[in-house]
Amino acid sequence: MVIQNIKLALGSMKGGKMRTVLSLLGIIIGVASVVTILTLGNSATGSITDSITSSGYDLIYLSPAFGSKTRETFDESFAERLRKNVDGIGLVMPTVSGNARVRNGSIVTSTSIMGVNSDYAANMDYKESYGSWFGVEDNIFKRQVVVLGSDIAEKLFPGGNAVGNYITIFRDQGKKYLVVAVMEAKDASLGASFNSTVYIPYNTYTQRFQRVSGVGTYIIKVAENHDPKVVNADATKYLDDLVGTDNYMIISSASLAEMVSSVTGTLSIFLAAIGGISLLVGGIGIMNIMLVSVAERTKEIGIRKALGASPRVIRGQFLTEAITLTSFGGVVGIVIGIGLSKIVANIAGWGFAVSVNACLLSVGFSMAIGIFFGLYPAAKAAKMDPIDSLNYE
Amino acid sequence: MDKIDWEEVARRIDSRDLPIIYMEDVHRYYIVGDIVVKALDGVSVKIYKGDFTAIMGPSGSGKSTLMNLVGCLDTPTSGKILIDGEDTRGLNETELAYIRNRKIGFVFQQFNLLGKITALENVMTPLLYTGGISAHERRERAEQALEKVGLADRMKHLPNELSGGQKQRVAIARALVTRPSIILADEPTGALDTKTGEQIMELFYSLNKEGNTIVVVTHNDEIGNACPNQIRIRDGKREA
Ligand SMILES: Nc1ncnc2c1ncn2[C@@H]1O[C@H](COP(=O)(O)OP(=O)(O)OP(=O)(O)O)[C@@H](O)[C@H]1O
Ligand SMILES: [Mg+2]
Repeated sequence: MVIQNIKLALGSMKGGKMRTVLSLLGIIIGVASVVTILTLGNSATGSITDSITSSGYDLIYLSPAFGSKTRETFDESFAERLRKNVDGIGLVMPTVSGNARVRNGSIVTSTSIMGVNSDYAANMDYKESYGSWFGVEDNIFKRQVVVLGSDIAEKLFPGGNAVGNYITIFRDQGKKYLVVAVMEAKDASLGASFNSTVYIPYNTYTQRFQRVSGVGTYIIKVAENHDPKVVNADATKYLDDLVGTDNYMIISSASLAEMVSSVTGTLSIFLAAIGGISLLVGGIGIMNIMLVSVAERTKEIGIRKALGASPRVIRGQFLTEAITLTSFGGVVGIVIGIGLSKIVANIAGWGFAVSVNACLLSVGFSMAIGIFFGLYPAAKAAKMDPIDSLNYE
Repeated sequence: MDKIDWEEVARRIDSRDLPIIYMEDVHRYYIVGDIVVKALDGVSVKIYKGDFTAIMGPSGSGKSTLMNLVGCLDTPTSGKILIDGEDTRGLNETELAYIRNRKIGFVFQQFNLLGKITALENVMTPLLYTGGISAHERRERAEQALEKVGLADRMKHLPNELSGGQKQRVAIARALVTRPSIILADEPTGALDTKTGEQIMELFYSLNKEGNTIVVVTHNDEIGNACPNQIRIRDGKREA
């Protein structure tokens, strides 16, 4: 019986192809937009959180505020104290940064300059394309060496061959610095825009560029088997007691990634709700077309009743037709939605992740719409008087 | 209520001791505005198994009303109707549909075939509503019914690819396929030319010879008078 009903439904859909498509437009658009929005929401969130966590999901950035009080607290021994008081603190890398004008020959540009330790690159998953990062000794002896990010290297040395040559840093009375490495390009991530930065040894920086000492930002790696969010929370508590909330800023890549996905998640839900409304409007279109179909087929209903079709059978026939119709619309909508999001994801350069949930949700929802909006027309057909409908012209 | 011995009833209907159609003082009134139209006004009818009965009378006399009541498409305002021994009073839509499917085969003036499906599928349709019959058996029985009406070579045709006479044969096959107790035909020759009409009547005669109970409504005195039994109606009442 069900198979017969589906056959009948497909038959009547084929009978009026144009009408079928038009009546399904609302459902198709609704499903396509829900699938597109949720899929793109997934992809966009994925790509943003990827870039936030490109140097690791386990990083916490701690920046002390300026001032003499904080300067006393955040000194060279701070890392040790932090590790003693907060569980799960791994490596602590002090960094300092500022801006400076740099020159190679006639090329002069302004860029960010950062003082870091010799293990910075390895810990940030940052790789050399030429030369190698400065060593421990360079830091201890405060040597005048630099490592260039890919963009700034390209700018200062358009012909390449930066390694082994010197650049001038104006802030250091025009002293010359030996380029020891040029790095591979790396997506900007939280607290670091790698490619346009000039790196120099931490001690060189504090001696030559700072009038008063003090760490700019501690980059903290969370120890293995510890939840970055928990460590972040514990550290926050410790620091609040130590210096007060206003005297530092802390942010972890994990919590930022979470924040971003919650924002895009909310946005997705909102947009999907709009898609849902269009599905609902599509459902009313279905009800309309089903009512027309029932009215047009009054005679057929009369004949079927005369042949012994019970009200339940007639109701089943039209309900199946409505569900078949909307499910078909749902599948078409999903195909369009996936195609559309693939195109947009390609253009935007996001990873493409089909939202399976969105697909299931959409098909389920369109079937539910078929049932809900098909019920009334089907009941109307079932209730028709056999003689009146037989005599209908 | 006494328990009915259906086997006994069937035996008595077979032996023409009980009528297969029994109507007692049946009224069917329509209320149109503030006028009461007495389409049937106290009609009693007994038709026995194997009868071939013509229902005759002028237009508007109530012939179709009577057929619809016998066919359980309609319910009387008052009176008693027994089909195959079964009282149809107080049955709901589903139960009436059941009786229409198992006990009645309809043939209409305008054929009333389903236009989008083939002759064979049309004939299979009532069996679909009987339930519990496999697709294979439905097809086989429909093919047999179409062979019986002489349309073995037209099974895959759509109704609009058939002549009027052929359509009516398909309709008769569709009425036969459930092996009903009664075949009801309301002016089955009304939309056909004289010669084709005669052929259809011939078909009914031969089906009657095989034991089918047939009731035919007709305007045509010649056709009606040729039938073994006649019921004449005028203004909703039986004529003597
Ligand atoms: N649904 C209805 N509402 C009101 N009056 C009706 C209805 N159906 C039939 N009638 C009336 O009942 C009377 C009997 O109608 P019926 O159709 O039974 O006549 P008939 O004998 O079959 O006529 P014909 O030979 O023209 O088919 C007519 O007066 C008709 O107008
Ligand atoms: Mg009539």
